[in-house]
Amino acid sequence: MSISRRQALLGSAASTAALATGVFRPAIAASEPIRIGYLPALTGPSSSTGIGINRGTELAVKEINDAGGINGRQIELVVRDTQSDPTKAVNAATELTRRHKVHVIWGPLNSGEALAATPLIARDGVPQLHPCWVDSLTDVKKYPLAFRNAPTNQQIGGAANHYVVNILKAKKVAVISDTTGYGTASLNAYVPMLKTIGAEVVYEGSVESNNPDLKPELLRMQAAGTQAIMPWSVNAGFLSRIINTRAEMNWDIPIVGQTTLGSGQTKALLKKPEYWEKVYPNNFRNCSYNATGALPPRTVEFVERIRKAKIEMGDTLLWWIALGYDGPRLMAEAIKAAGSGPEEIAAYWNKVKAWPGVYGSITWTPDVHDGFQNEEIVMCQANSLKEGAFTLAPGYTG
Amino acid sequence: MLLSIVSYGLALGAVYALIGITYNVMFAASRVFSFTAGTVGMLGGVFGALCIDRLGMPVAVGFLITLAAGAGLGIITEVLTVRPVLKSLDQHLYVLSTLAFALMLQQLTAIEWSTEPQPFPRLLPFGSGWFDQQFWLPLLACALTIAGLEWLYRYTLVGRAFLAISEDNYAARALGLPEQTLRIASYALAGMIGTLAGFTGGEMMLAYFGNGPLLNFYGFVPVALGGMGSNRGAVAGGLALGLFQQTANFLVGGIFASVAIFVVFILVLLVRPEGFAGAAPARRV
Repeated sequence: MSISRRQALLGSAASTAALATGVFRPAIAASEPIRIGYLPALTGPSSSTGIGINRGTELAVKEINDAGGINGRQIELVVRDTQSDPTKAVNAATELTRRHKVHVIWGPLNSGEALAATPLIARDGVPQLHPCWVDSLTDVKKYPLAFRNAPTNQQIGGAANHYVVNILKAKKVAVISDTTGYGTASLNAYVPMLKTIGAEVVYEGSVESNNPDLKPELLRMQAAGTQAIMPWSVNAGFLSRIINTRAEMNWDIPIVGQTTLGSGQTKALLKKPEYWEKVYPNNFRNCSYNATGALPPRTVEFVERIRKAKIEMGDTLLWWIALGYDGPRLMAEAIKAAGSGPEEIAAYWNKVKAWPGVYGSITWTPDVHDGFQNEEIVMCQANSLKEGAFTLAPGYTG
Repeated sequence: MLLSIVSYGLALGAVYALIGITYNVMFAASRVFSFTAGTVGMLGGVFGALCIDRLGMPVAVGFLITLAAGAGLGIITEVLTVRPVLKSLDQHLYVLSTLAFALMLQQLTAIEWSTEPQPFPRLLPFGSGWFDQQFWLPLLACALTIAGLEWLYRYTLVGRAFLAISEDNYAARALGLPEQTLRIASYALAGMIGTLAGFTGGEMMLAYFGNGPLLNFYGFVPVALGGMGSNRGAVAGGLALGLFQQTANFLVGGIFASVAIFVVFILVLLVRPEGFAGAAPARRV
């Protein structure tokens, strides 16, 4: 059978029209990979967190793809290193949503970058999951597609306050911060919360983080009858000076606060290792050893998988890896059950209840996109770090 | 309380005084107020911690390398940020060039060293309590520096040449003095004094990139209080500032201590704009 030139032209035109109108789209869409836009800070000042989270994220994606993907579609992780720079995070987020048309975004992984990028991701109508603590980073009205699988700053402060007042039974509390935005905002938020649960805040003050001598402040705390010190700062120098000064004053009271209290940087600045006794930073129940030195069963199984995958744990924190692992799994589950459209993903997440993550159990509702549960935020012993995890602070059970 | 005020106050004051002297030595040679002074001070702590703690060098070797690095930075400052703008001093372009270079150094330190404060090693195996080396080392460094500068300026030919170019640059050149070489030497000397401040104050202030802006400001206060170009005034102003700052920490505490310093600083400048040891500018008639 011969095909005339007119027939060939008509055939080409019909094919082009079919492609343009999307006649064959379902077949293509059904096999195309699920693109997850991923915004970790793998270099720069915030990279220690980003590198830890990245190990968990890569493991989760590999496991999902090795198991056949999501309804037969492989996950393609479109990674952009934000270099710990909010400007780069903004540019990368726009590139992922507009050029790469990703189905969902995982990150940014720190609050400074998320504050800059979240409004743009929301504007482009792409579902976003992030683990950042700044309260304003979820808002069902402003960012209806943004969800958080980590605690908020309010929850972090609330857990520390609960530990001091209800478990340590300290009623006279000193709250000190550095003069950064984070420090002063934390102080202003947590002092009223402490008073609400019955504590007497006998000292509150903000001090420059560079101040080499914090003894005047600690003497004021001591004179006011302080029973526990709560410092809010991410500056290891500031925190170590408080710990060193407390020890040099032979003042045996607990220091309770932010996770940096238990960091390697803080440890390096202590004048003696034993000064780290009775220092209790925030941590997470699922990633903490109990009094007998055991992790929860769900986490034990996860650690086994990490070991099998030969992922390094000694130079990072278990909860960072666990957090990174939970992100893609939450996305995969939503896409598998509901589809890969933005509204479908968000609608599924809005109904997630007690999702059993390794880092924490997640519950979202249409009105609350902060999924982490209060009871899973705990305090731990700063000097107990072993293979990336800490031991629960005294007073917790289980 | 008194011991804490005196020990910390004098030690901090000595560090501020040394940064003030760094400003002065650069200013005397070029009439340029270089904002790299505090940054070089910060790098004194960072180089010291790098050489001794990280690279495991003996303290003396680490100290000499730190001073040499300070001298090198001083020379680079002169070549890159001061020399190109000397012809238009009246436009104060040096504010931009030196500040930009200081910011570059600070960011480079943050990237290559750390954004977190790092420990500074103990330099000597003795001393504790209120007579700890972290308190008397900056004081000793300050005393030796001021004595050395007095000797240099009063009793050596090179020192007199320094004074000559600082008094009248054109006349000194007309007399055949190598102005450019002397200016480079002054900047190298200033760099060494700046790193000495950071090195001897390292245990107290830690090896931290954020110390740069702090030293830039608190090092400037003694110069303003003591009078531009007066090293003795800078020492007196620095020690007074340290003692006042520490007293304010005890009496009012928190951020109010910093406010108290600003208030006093502004009041002094209102009463004596030329500083306590500076001469009032001559009025042309």
